Amino acid sequence: MEGKWFTRIKILLITALFASIGNLINGLVTKSRSATPEKVMVYMPWQIWPALALMIAIIILGLIIADFAKAKFPKADLPNILFISAIAILVGIPNLSPLATFMKTEFAKIGLLPLCTPILSYAGISIGKDLPAFKKQGVAIVTVALLTFLGTYIGSALIAEIVLKFTGQI
Amino acid sequence: MKYLKDWKVQILCLLMVIAAELIGNQKFAFGLVSFTLFPMLYALVIGAVLYGLKVIDMDMMKTASPYIGISVTFLTVKVGASIGPNLPAIMNAGPALLLQELGNLGTIFFSLPVAVLVFKMGRAAVGACFSISREGSLAIVGDMYGLDSDEGQGVMGAYITGTLLGTVFNSLMVSSLLITNWFHPYSLAMAAGTGSASMMSAALAPLVEKFANQPEMLSKIQAYAATSQVLTSADGLYMSLFVGIPVTNWLYKKLKKEKAAPAQKAVAGK
Repeated sequence: MEGKWFTRIKILLITALFASIGNLINGLVTKSRSATPEKVMVYMPWQIWPALALMIAIIILGLIIADFAKAKFPKADLPNILFISAIAILVGIPNLSPLATFMKTEFAKIGLLPLCTPILSYAGISIGKDLPAFKKQGVAIVTVALLTFLGTYIGSALIAEIVLKFTGQI
Repeated sequence: MKYLKDWKVQILCLLMVIAAELIGNQKFAFGLVSFTLFPMLYALVIGAVLYGLKVIDMDMMKTASPYIGISVTFLTVKVGASIGPNLPAIMNAGPALLLQELGNLGTIFFSLPVAVLVFKMGRAAVGACFSISREGSLAIVGDMYGLDSDEGQGVMGAYITGTLLGTVFNSLMVSSLLITNWFHPYSLAMAAGTGSASMMSAALAPLVEKFANQPEMLSKIQAYAATSQVLTSADGLYMSLFVGIPVTNWLYKKLKKEKAAPAQKAVAGK
């Protein structure tokens, strides 16, 4: 039986490796199809490892704090994302964090979507066991998702309208 | 044997990443309707096809399942990293822009009752209704419930819907709202920033078209939309975590109870 931390670090390193390879292919494919290829930056896998190393450091620190907090407050049901995102925000605040500039320039080299691909590949591998339920709910989820877009938009527009009227801006 | 299974999963994952990225972003346009497919979606489809071909067995699925929750933390860091540099924008935004952010939560009371009462959805409704299900929402649900849970199915289904239909739907919606004259264009512009860049552009397009010959108004419309977009990308994560998910869970429990109550009475009456 592998320990919890062994599995965590193994998967973090493997995901980072796959993302760095995917990011390169993504860059090359985008460049080859772009009307302005000279504007598309392509990064070799090792060029984005400074970013990935900082990401892994933030994740590990966040998980250590999350494990500690969960042991201390077992009833609070604290998600890992709370601690990981808090550290990511702190590290990114200009004039407060010495790493803010480094983070901004290095993180820009890896796209959000190439970072998603290995995650969704793991999800794709395990999707089989959820497919029957997924099929059953297909129409419902599509309708509900569209209603969510509508509700989000109308909700925001309504509040903006009221506040703008109230403050006499329109 | 266990290590063999693990390596099979890892190599398959790498092959899926390479295949998906080689296909790359694909833009489709049919007249007014256009959408872009992303590599991450192909990864899901490849997985489903390989399952159908029986290449992936139950052991591999069980091996890969916990890896989703670990790898999804990268998404959390990437999304979180964009918040820090945007904090000054929040400090400088006006009351209308700040308060309309709360409107993003209004959808819960709108879509969740339909999901639970009309479609009789289970916990998947929570995943689909607490937000507009973009990348940050995948990270939240992946961490809290796992992407292969019921809630995960909801958020993934809604994510795919948004990718395929989100831009089209937003353009049609804003065009229709412009005709009704219910809202001032500034309100529509502020509402356009919902956390997805492509959906914001789609929602903004009808406004840009209508006010193309009024440059002063147009520049205000674009500034409001852009600021609202920055605000949502900064507060969206925490809004979902601290308000969206708890409120959705609370309302879900209420709706399920209200639905269950008359049935129980009927049984008791017998």
